[in-house]
Amino acid sequence: MAKEWADMTWEEKREERFKQWLSPGIKFDSPEAERLYKERVTRFTKAIKLEKPDRVPVAIPVQYLPAVYAGYDLGTVMNDYGKLKEAWLKFLNDFDADSFLPPSLVFPAKVLEMIDYKIQKWPGHGLPDDAPSHQFVEGEYMLASEYDALINDPADYLLRHFLPRSAGVFKPFEKLAPLTPFVAIPVGYVAQFADPEIRKTYETLFDAAQEAVKWAMAVGEIGQIGLSAGFPNIWGGMSQAPFDMVGDFLRGTHGIMMDMFKRPDKLHEAMARLVPVAVSEAVGSANASGCPIIFIPLHKGTGGFMSNKQFEEFYWPTFKEVMMGLVNEGLVPMPFAEGNYEPRLEIIKDMPRSSTIWFFEHMDMAKAKKILNHTCIAGNVPVTMMVTGKPAEVKERCRQLIEVCAPGSGYILTAGAWMDMGNHENLRAMMEAAKEYGVY
Amino acid sequence: MNDTAKNWDKMTWQEKREERFKRWLNPPDVKFVSQEAEKLYKERVTRFIKAIKLEEPDRVPVMLPTGNSPAYWGGANLHTLMYDYKKGHEIWKKYMEAFGDMDAFHGPGFVPSGRISEVVTSKLQKLPGLGLPEDAPMYQFVEGEYMKADEYDLLMLDPSDYNMRVMMPRTSDFFKAFERLPPLRATYGNIWLAAMTDPGIRKIFQTLIDMSDEQIKWQMASMEINNYIRSQGYPSLFGGGPMAGAPFDHFGDALRGTHGIFMDMYRQPEKLHAAMDYQLKLMIETSIKNFPMTSSPVCIMPLHKGDDTFMSDKQFAEFYWPTLRALCLAMIDEGLVPMPFAEGRYTNRLKQITDTPKSGVVWWFDQTDMKEAKRVIGDICCIVGNVPTSIVMKGTVQQVKDACRQLIEDCAAGGGYILGGGASADTAPIENLQAMMDAAKEYGVY
Repeated sequence: MAKEWADMTWEEKREERFKQWLSPGIKFDSPEAERLYKERVTRFTKAIKLEKPDRVPVAIPVQYLPAVYAGYDLGTVMNDYGKLKEAWLKFLNDFDADSFLPPSLVFPAKVLEMIDYKIQKWPGHGLPDDAPSHQFVEGEYMLASEYDALINDPADYLLRHFLPRSAGVFKPFEKLAPLTPFVAIPVGYVAQFADPEIRKTYETLFDAAQEAVKWAMAVGEIGQIGLSAGFPNIWGGMSQAPFDMVGDFLRGTHGIMMDMFKRPDKLHEAMARLVPVAVSEAVGSANASGCPIIFIPLHKGTGGFMSNKQFEEFYWPTFKEVMMGLVNEGLVPMPFAEGNYEPRLEIIKDMPRSSTIWFFEHMDMAKAKKILNHTCIAGNVPVTMMVTGKPAEVKERCRQLIEVCAPGSGYILTAGAWMDMGNHENLRAMMEAAKEYGVY
Repeated sequence: MNDTAKNWDKMTWQEKREERFKRWLNPPDVKFVSQEAEKLYKERVTRFIKAIKLEEPDRVPVMLPTGNSPAYWGGANLHTLMYDYKKGHEIWKKYMEAFGDMDAFHGPGFVPSGRISEVVTSKLQKLPGLGLPEDAPMYQFVEGEYMKADEYDLLMLDPSDYNMRVMMPRTSDFFKAFERLPPLRATYGNIWLAAMTDPGIRKIFQTLIDMSDEQIKWQMASMEINNYIRSQGYPSLFGGGPMAGAPFDHFGDALRGTHGIFMDMYRQPEKLHAAMDYQLKLMIETSIKNFPMTSSPVCIMPLHKGDDTFMSDKQFAEFYWPTLRALCLAMIDEGLVPMPFAEGRYTNRLKQITDTPKSGVVWWFDQTDMKEAKRVIGDICCIVGNVPTSIVMKGTVQQVKDACRQLIEDCAAGGGYILGGGASADTAPIENLQAMMDAAKEYGVY
């Protein structure tokens, strides 16, 4: 790089990252695959930069669907990595698309059982065997009195207080001594291993990790095959709004909503503390993946959960800071506004031109296009229609969306959420629509 | 703490301290060998408590600078103790019998396990047989700029994470692979699974697990001998206080090094201040607040870089004292007894350390002018010290007694004085230590 990274503008940094994304340094299956890969990535980068691509890009809206499509179900592929691979490769092979997501969120059931993971239910473990998706188990995993501990030393807090509550295997970590007083004195660290329960934790982790490697290798292989075949990954990393980091995993909805009234200062302090933590984590995963798009699922700031006044006070400031932190590292935040963000449009437009991809679930897309005319938007064929509708319906809805959102670029066609089941022909209809109606 | 009649939070610091003193006086976990042993134990503890409270005990209490000198008296050395955990027991027991009356006594201190130290290496420490000659009487700290000048923010972002992923691999080849650990602040436990798939990281944990039997043997050995000593009626001064030091030293010793931190005082004073304030808060929150009831409320705090020759009065006032003082106040507020151990000379500093509550802090001095110490802070703090180590180790019995007599004359009046050495005298002859006890009994009766 001619210019030092730190001296670059965010646009220059982003260009560097786009270049890396465009030329991932892998061996493609054929010159044709390489050509298609570059075309696909270019389609997305142009849409992000509000330049006109050849046609509207499509983010194929699937999560667990390939399992069902291959004749299995989620529970089966969570337990059998061979079938997992078979299903995802079959899907890759059978569908035209602009992108491909390896099943990195299809967690290995054996591993989750071994570590006694408590914050998720999955088919056969708290859910019926044939359940099409997992279920997040919210709870007050962090107590109201523990804000200071989290603020003072996040790693220490999460290690000694949160992890023991989130998975049975980590329970003995409650007995660990704080890490910091022993700075640079290994003896303090070694002492924990005298405790048989703590030793058992590590031994279980060894076994679980061995199992996890098998799974990770399968997922990695699937991802590589997808790339080699010419399908880019559009998910370079994940991040969260600090309000959700506290509200989803730590305090729970009830807890954090109480905190907004009972201890707003502590909540603000904790969220501010988590901003650099969230940014550094996302930068790390984007560096590893080579794709600069950071997927940010949003939960508790949606319309219905809080007022605009509360959103402006509690949700938006630190969330914006996280996104700006990502932008300044040349990354592209892609907030996924689950629920209804229509009331928030005037607030969230306050981001630099072309810096963000806003991905909407329930949204008047015409209104979004008008208010967020300086940024790329994505969405929002209703997932109900994707799952239960007919291809003609989907194609027609896509046509309408393209008509409203595509003019002047800055639009990615996709559904309002991801499919775990339903009529896969609707995916083909979406691609058809993009090709038929979305050419610039 | 929970078994006290009054709600802990509502108690004054003196009341909290009284609770801790009561526990020190009546240790529930000690089974005395005889009523005589128990009586002596209580007399001894009472002697210290009165001195701490600036009251007159029956006589001047003595904190002998015994260190690990029993090892040498018994024909062993530090290296032997590092490998033969039981050897120390035999010698210490015999030494205790041979010595007679003492106001406090401890098992071997700061003796790491040789076998564990061989494996879990540290660039910060040289030990007998591991970087030092086998017969070295002490270990050697190896200072360096282990933390870089531009890493203050990284440390403050997440200190435990910084410690584990940056400092541990940097200061120990054994922990080298920890630099590949993912950030520990992740809310998902699966980062640990990812970490355990790395053969290098796995090996670290496997090795630590394999060594746990050794670790347990070592821990038990240390506990056993100290329990034995207590049961014979000898109280502990060093027992169970939180590990603490001056925030300035926290950064100056193991992290930035002397050179580094003195540059920071000029080049980035605000960062240094921010980091010290941060560290202070962290220490108070994690190590001081709600500190459990332990065998003794006294917390020894070795001090290093604030001494007379290392910085000016002005620098001491700006960089060193405020956070150290705040830490002492937090300890006092928990009913603990901070005992800063001022290594080097603190004569210039005396006028600067008077602003703590009366009888709250106990100052242990090394080369400070004790007459001056008594004059300047004698009404505020109990003082401890400071028979020169050179005399304890190499002087005659008479020289030791003379030095003690002079100190008692200068410092004992009105209470608030503990006779002690300027530092631990690791190879001190038993006669010279006995001479200190004799002097206290001869000249130190109130």
